[in-house]
Formats: sequence, structure tokens, C-alpha cells
Amino acid sequence: MTATPAPRPRSRWRAILARNLTLRLVILLMLILMTFTGINDYIRLTREREQLLRQTQEDERIFAETLALAVSRNVRRGQTTSELQELLDDILSRPGLVAVTIYSPEGSVVAETVAVGEAPPALDDLVRTALRRGPQAAPLESKSGPLLRFIQPFRWPGGRTAALEVRQALGDMERQFREAVRKQILSRFEVMALLVLCLIAVTRWSIARPIRKLIAGARAVGTGDLAQRIELTRQDEIGQLADEFNRMAAYLQAAHDELVLQAQERLKLEQEVQQAQKLGEVGMLAAKMAHEIGTPLNVISGRAEVLGQVIPRDHPDRRHLDVILRQAERIGGSIRALLNYTRPRRASLRPEPILPILGRVASLLMERSQRRGVRIHLELPVGLPPVLADPDQLQQAFLNLVLNALDASPPGSVVRLATGDGPLRPTEGWASVIRGKVEGPALPIHVIDTGKGMTAEQLDHVFEPFFSTKGQGLGTGLGLPIVEEIIRAHRAEIEMLSLPDNGTEVIVRLPLAHPEAAAPAGLRPTGGPHG
Amino acid sequence: MARQPSILIVDDDPEMRALLLDVLRNEGYDTAEAKDGTEAVLALRRRGYDIILMDKNMPGPSGLDLLPGLRRVCPATQIIMMTAFGDVPSYMEAVEKGAVEYLFKPFRMEEMKTAVAKALERKAESRA
Repeated sequence: MTATPAPRPRSRWRAILARNLTLRLVILLMLILMTFTGINDYIRLTREREQLLRQTQEDERIFAETLALAVSRNVRRGQTTSELQELLDDILSRPGLVAVTIYSPEGSVVAETVAVGEAPPALDDLVRTALRRGPQAAPLESKSGPLLRFIQPFRWPGGRTAALEVRQALGDMERQFREAVRKQILSRFEVMALLVLCLIAVTRWSIARPIRKLIAGARAVGTGDLAQRIELTRQDEIGQLADEFNRMAAYLQAAHDELVLQAQERLKLEQEVQQAQKLGEVGMLAAKMAHEIGTPLNVISGRAEVLGQVIPRDHPDRRHLDVILRQAERIGGSIRALLNYTRPRRASLRPEPILPILGRVASLLMERSQRRGVRIHLELPVGLPPVLADPDQLQQAFLNLVLNALDASPPGSVVRLATGDGPLRPTEGWASVIRGKVEGPALPIHVIDTGKGMTAEQLDHVFEPFFSTKGQGLGTGLGLPIVEEIIRAHRAEIEMLSLPDNGTEVIVRLPLAHPEAAAPAGLRPTGGPHG
Repeated sequence: MARQPSILIVDDDPEMRALLLDVLRNEGYDTAEAKDGTEAVLALRRRGYDIILMDKNMPGPSGLDLLPGLRRVCPATQIIMMTAFGDVPSYMEAVEKGAVEYLFKPFRMEEMKTAVAKALERKAESRA
């Protein structure tokens, strides 16, 4: 047994994505939305942070200025370093304040206060710059986080300039900022989640649902339910698609119905032909029987009639004769009844084009010919003059002829239906037999096979009932007698040429419906050579 | 006295020929017989007949095949065809080829006699 490896997660996701249009659409939209709102948020938050920083700086500046003013006043009033130190220690309770340092004009630290754990400030370039040029501000990274330095110069007794440095932790601001970012992200997610839900709902309602309907419809049609229609009352592309689909299904259904109808009609026709064939054969049998019985029966009844004139009516033995007469009459009646039942109706001849008749014959025998691997070629030009024919009977005659040709033909060969005056193949040395006779201009139809053919001896008997060259159980031996009867009823003529191993050519010459309009080519009056 | 009408009976069945000969001779006709087309042609070469009573189905050329030739050789002779019943197509063909009457076997002798009489009348009319 071979174990199927479980699909790798990646390919499974890919498969899900590949199958689910809604999911793909949502993800795509989300990506686009997230990119845009992300950029937007980034810009906005950056600005906000700057704003916050500026605000903090401003606060610090004001605080530093105020403090510097206070220190300056106290120094001028002659406060001591320890008093200044006291002031600074009081101030350290201000939230966020990390350190305050007072530098003398020489740059030495006069007083300072530093929060626990912070490094004490020392004179550096920024302080010097502030002493020379005025207030300075700068960020600074310390152990406890980012700080903001602000150095405010102030007037020192003696006209000199001292400086005050305030170090404020930015932690508070950062916390505020992080809070803002967190809120922003949270609200963003809420909006996104809401959006996703809306999107899923919308796509489900307006895309996935109708598409699923389309899929179900297509699947139903694909499995043969051609009556399936998709009910969508929409004007958009999906609605149009559904309309197109319905149109296609309707067309398929119509085509399918048409095919079924055609098949049914063909089956019906085939059954009718078979029925006619059977009836024709039974009729032929009955006719043969009637013919065999007719003469002896006639002799019996005739002799009895003769006796009836000799034996007087009141003779005691006259009844024997009457019985013979009545019984002979009864036999005649029985056979007449059988003939009436089976005899093909009289041919009603009327002008008919031959092509449709032969076309029907070819289509009726298509399956049989395919089974035998033999092709039927209709080599007849359009515009052949109409002939005097009973289409049903003539169809039966040609059906028998083509059937014989098919049965005699080897697989891979061709049975031709053609027109032309004489034999269409060189038939020197071929045996031939003619039945019926045509007067006036006629249309010759050839049925040609390259099958096993017949000897002159066989050909002589071919129109006799119960004669068959087919194997036992294959032919009834009534096909050609029926053909002959039909041909004679049409006042037509049938010629059969054959040579063993070369095939058979049958020429049926059918009288034209309008002999006066006989076309010159290929339709000269026949009958002369055979008369 | 006018000569008796002459009838040639053509049928391959000897019993049928014998019956027809008996009945027609009894009626006073001048009768002769032939068992097939060849014999019929030979008989017609020897003399003419008023009526030919001929079976359709015979070995060799059938009655229908013989009809046109007979019509040509002796156009005045009335030809009555006989065949097994139900043979409508050959009836049509026979009438077209010039047979004046058609009898379906088995027919009654009275029927046959009537047909012969009618054929004779027709011949008399055509001569007149």
C-alpha cells in the first residue's frame, strides 16, 4: 500500500486560496488598505511625536527660564550655595525632572540636584555654547531612557553670565506616545475587522453566492440535466453571465431534444422498414404458396365443375361433388385472405426525386455498414430528373439491393450508389441477368460492390424465391424476388452483372416522370438493346 | 357456316391444360395446346388463333415476356393471361402489354368461359 503524503501546509493554503475567490479578494483588499492606512498612520504619528516633543521642549524652556529668573534673583540677593541647593532639592519633586545644575560663569558647578541613579551633569560644549550664545536644547540618552537637556543662561552678579541646566526625562512623553500608537493600532484593527466582515458579507452576497449558483448550474448541465436554469435577477456581469449560461443551456437542450427526436424518428423509420421487409417476405412466401397451390386447386375445382354439369342436381351422390367444390373454394378463400393481409399495397407512382430515397437508404444502413467496416458512397449529382416512383416501395427495393451489396463486401471496401448509362466498370466476361423492362427515357441507378460476386449459374436463379448465396440463416432468399416485384410494379428494369471475386453491379433503370423533358446527357431511352 | 373460334392454351401444367381443353372443347371451340413459350410460338407459326389463353408463370420466358412478341406476330389475336391470385403488379403489366383479360387461379370455369366470350366479342368489334 502506498501512503499519500499529507499536503504541506503551504500548498494547502495555496490550494484554499486558489479555490476561494472571496478569500483572495478580501486578502488583496486588506493588503492594499493596510499599506495605505499604515503609511498614513506613520506620517500622522511621526507628526504627533514631533508635536509632543516640541510641547515638552516648550514646557522645559518655560520652566528653565522661570527657574533661572528665580535663581538669578536669589543669587543677586546674596543667597548662599547651600540655600540654592535647598531650592533645587525642592524642585526635584517636579514630575519627570531628572537633574538641575547651576553653573558659575567660570563653568564650575555651583549647586546641583540629581535624581537617584542618574549621572550628575558636568560642564560640556553645550553648556559653554549656552554661556556664550544663549539658551540651548538637546536630547540625551541616559541609562534610564531618553532625556531632554535645556540650558538657560542667566545674569550673575558682576555682569557676568551663569547657566542653569534642566534635565527632563522624556519617559512620560514616550509613554503618552506609545499609548497613542496603541490606541491607533487598536482602532485600526477594529475598523479592519469590521471592514473584513463587511467585505466577506458583500462578496458572499454579490459574488460568491451567484457564482456558486453558476457552478451548481454548470455542474448540473455537465452531468446531463439540461433543463437546469440559473435564477439571477441582476443586470451586472454576473447576471449577464447567468443569462448567457441559460441561453447556452437552452441551446444545448434544444440540440439535445433535436438529436433525441432524430434518433427516435430514425428508430421508427428503421422499425417500419423492418416491418415492411418482414411483411414483404411473408407476402412473397404467400404468393409463392398461392402460385404453387393455385394451379392444382384450379384443376380440382374445374374438374368438379365439369362433373357438376354432368351429374344431375338430384343425383344421390351429387353431394360428394358439392363438398369437393366447397372445400376447394374454402382453400382458395384462405389463401386469398392470407394474400390480402400480406400483399404489399399497390404501388402508387408519382414524380419523386431519387436522391432523398437513396439518402434514406444510406442513413438507414449506416450503422450496419459501420459494423461491417464497409462504406457507402452516394455518388449522385443533385438535379437528377424526378422518376415515377412509390417512395416507400422503391426505398425497400434499394434497401434490399444495398443490403445484399454490404453483405457481400469485404471489410474496408466501398459500396457505391451512382448514375450512368452502361456498367460503370469494365464488365467484359461478366454474367448478367435482366428483369422487367423499361420503355422510354429512364434514370439508371447503379449499386456497385467489390464483394465475392456470383457465377452465371447463381445469377440465373437469383430472382427465384428462396434462392440465397448467403450462408445458412443469413438470407431468406426473398430479398431479390421482392425487388423484382417492386421494379416491375414501377415499370422499371433491373440488370444484374456479376463475376466471382470481382463483385456485382446492379443497374436499376427507372422511368422518368417527365419523359418529354428528358435531358440529353446520360438519359437516353433504354430498352433497345434488351428488347 | 362460320368456322368455330380457335383457342390456343399455353400452360406448363398438363392437368391444367387438359382441364381447359376439355371444358373449351365441350363448349365447341377449336382448341390447341402448348406447354411453354417455344411451343406456343411454333404453334402460331403453323396457324392463327382467335384467342390465346396463357399462364404467366412458366419455365423459360414467362407469359409477360412473351406478350409483346405475340402482339406483334398476331395483332388480331386476343390474349387472356392466367396467374396465381394476388399478382396485381403483373396484372398491370399484362394489361399494358396488351392482354385483354386476366384470370386469377383458381378461377371458376364459368368465369373463364365468360372471359373467352368477352374476348371474342371484342375481336369481332375490332374487326368490324
